Amino acid sequence: MSQKAFIKIIQSYCFRLNVAQFIKKAVFVLYIGAGVGILLQAIAFIIPFYYAGGCTIIILILVLLTAVVLAFIKRKNMEQTALVMDRFGFEERIVTAYGNLEKEGALVELQRTDAMNQLQLQRDKIRIAILPSWKLIVGLAGLFAILIVLALMPSAMKERARELHHIREAAREKTEEIEEILEALEELSQEQDLTVAQQAALQEMAESLQASQEELQQASSMEMMKAASQKLEYRYEHTGNTLATLAESLRNGATVSSVTAESMQALSEKLRGMHEAELAQGTAGQPGNQNGTGQNGQPGNQNGTGQNGQSGDQNGAGQGGQSAEGGTNGSNGQGDLNNGSGIGRGTGTSSTPHDYVSIPNEIAESENLTGNAVNHDASEYFYAQNGLSWEGTHMSHEAVIGSYEQNAYEGIAAGKYPSGMEEIIKAYFSNFN
Amino acid sequence: MGEFGNNGLQDPAYMAQRIAACEREIQKGIIGQREIIRQVMLAMLTGGNVLLEGMPGLGKTRLVSTISKVFDLSFKRIQFTPDLMPSDVTGTNIIIKNEQGNAFSFERGPIFANLILADEINRATPKTQSALLEAMQEHTVTVGNDSHALTEPFFVLATQNPIENEGTYPLPEAQLDRFMFKILVRFPSKEELKGIVTLTEGSQEPDIIKQMDSAGLLAARALINQIPIADAVMDYLLEIVMQTHSANPYIKEGASPRAAQALIRASRAKAFLEGRFNVSFQDVKETAFPVLRHRILLSFDAVSEGVNEDNVIQKILEGTKQ
Repeated sequence: MSQKAFIKIIQSYCFRLNVAQFIKKAVFVLYIGAGVGILLQAIAFIIPFYYAGGCTIIILILVLLTAVVLAFIKRKNMEQTALVMDRFGFEERIVTAYGNLEKEGALVELQRTDAMNQLQLQRDKIRIAILPSWKLIVGLAGLFAILIVLALMPSAMKERARELHHIREAAREKTEEIEEILEALEELSQEQDLTVAQQAALQEMAESLQASQEELQQASSMEMMKAASQKLEYRYEHTGNTLATLAESLRNGATVSSVTAESMQALSEKLRGMHEAELAQGTAGQPGNQNGTGQNGQPGNQNGTGQNGQSGDQNGAGQGGQSAEGGTNGSNGQGDLNNGSGIGRGTGTSSTPHDYVSIPNEIAESENLTGNAVNHDASEYFYAQNGLSWEGTHMSHEAVIGSYEQNAYEGIAAGKYPSGMEEIIKAYFSNFN
Repeated sequence: MGEFGNNGLQDPAYMAQRIAACEREIQKGIIGQREIIRQVMLAMLTGGNVLLEGMPGLGKTRLVSTISKVFDLSFKRIQFTPDLMPSDVTGTNIIIKNEQGNAFSFERGPIFANLILADEINRATPKTQSALLEAMQEHTVTVGNDSHALTEPFFVLATQNPIENEGTYPLPEAQLDRFMFKILVRFPSKEELKGIVTLTEGSQEPDIIKQMDSAGLLAARALINQIPIADAVMDYLLEIVMQTHSANPYIKEGASPRAAQALIRASRAKAFLEGRFNVSFQDVKETAFPVLRHRILLSFDAVSEGVNEDNVIQKILEGTKQ
């Protein structure tokens, strides 16, 4: 055997050894990665953990990278390979010969020849397995199978995690949007020529939007998110209007530069635009969820306080309201075109801005709720809180009454009430109209 | 040069064959004790001195005399006793009368031989024991102002009885360190004992034939010194010696650098005896026991727990990564 062939043999075993080492390390770290992945997937069944899948993939990639790095750091060089080869009964002949390749001397040459001869004769003794034992591989495959099953298995918690994720994403986007507006408001408030009242108004707007920011960040359900969005939508509009008013007054004044007024106007328009966008999003995204209250400027909003905005007929005392969307039209409406006396019911909408009030526990008797449902008064509470009322926490009188009325009529239809009470119930609700 | 000729002495393969023949020949005169024979051979091939420890009657003297025959070496036996004086070992200057008148002349002691059997060395006083120091290390003897070179090859094979401590003078560490090997001669097995009895009590003594001469032995030693050692094996060997100095509750004092030298030489010789021209980890492991066991000073903990030197060396070997 020539010296070149001797080196080539060691090189081939060196490569094989390093590949085997990498695979061994990869299997080891993949065991760890799969174990951690299974743990993460199991956690995703217990608590909402949207990123369980992503984390598992990242961990698997990281452990594989670790295996590559470890295998590279601990890679065997030629001398170490020769030592490994010697373990197959060569009694350190190969490593000695390799270490003395450049040296000369009778005994050194004799040793080299002896090593090469032995290697040629007994090369088949050297067995360096590239793959680990089949038991390890089967075990790893089993772990991955469990991991995949767990990852694909649906569960309520996973659904919840997905929902929360979407909420947080939406909240994050809106929070960033609010942040921009807050910065713009902050800049406007720096204008020294603004009056104290104007600055206070700007401050109030900022606080109002900050409150929305907090609500969005704390939203943990679709309902909370929806409520927070509605508040935000209102606040956009309100802030936009207030800014427009301020801008107008600034334009009329002499002390403030027109640039500030223009900035305010621009911000006002931006906010209004955002309000409209929110509206469009709300309408498009949440069909049928308005319970027929038709806020968000749905049909019927043009009628101001006139609930039952479209009576059953022109002359009658029709009671049937018109549902804005998804509501029930006056199915029980009776009457004709000329003299109808229908008793139709519905969840008619007649909201204008600031048109919502708290769900009345005690109609007109709460210290915060002094409006009268019968008179269609506006709620003081509503005004006291800068008009921050919205579905979920506050409803229009009409909606509340409509809901009760609907239940009552359904009860009548189902025969729930004693005979004689039906007319009383109908009369009771008629008084509201 | 010896009878084998220059060419043969330069040929490692041939020398390995001759040495193997020597080993076989020694085994003809000594029944069993193969490991002892092997270790004594290793010491002789590397020029080391050997301390044989064992009960009387185990064939120590016979072993040495057989070796001297096989290698055709001059052999002297010195029985160490408490009243033995250094000059009884080294020789002394005496007044002789010649033609010019009276003059001092150096009278060589028994140490002037190739092979010295220092029998029961621990019975002599330290002063006499130390007379061997220079001879063992420098292969010279100084009497008065004159140094006298000893005949090469020169080996000291000392024996001591491990049981009888009364009236003995344990060898000091400095002297122990000069012995390359400390070999424990154990009692033979029943089969071996039968062979010994048959051999020694029979009518015919085995005919021991000379296999090599002193020149051959020196040539073999020169060859052995050239045997290459891989870096990994050398690191392993040195690590073993260093381990005797690491924190070990059973070791009071570790081995000297001379131990590392002895280990290298012994490992090379062992490889050569086995027909290899390189040192293996196994060579180092097997020679570590006779090389290190008398160079490690055990702590009180070891003595109190009944841990001996071989146990400590075994632990070190197990804990040293190849």
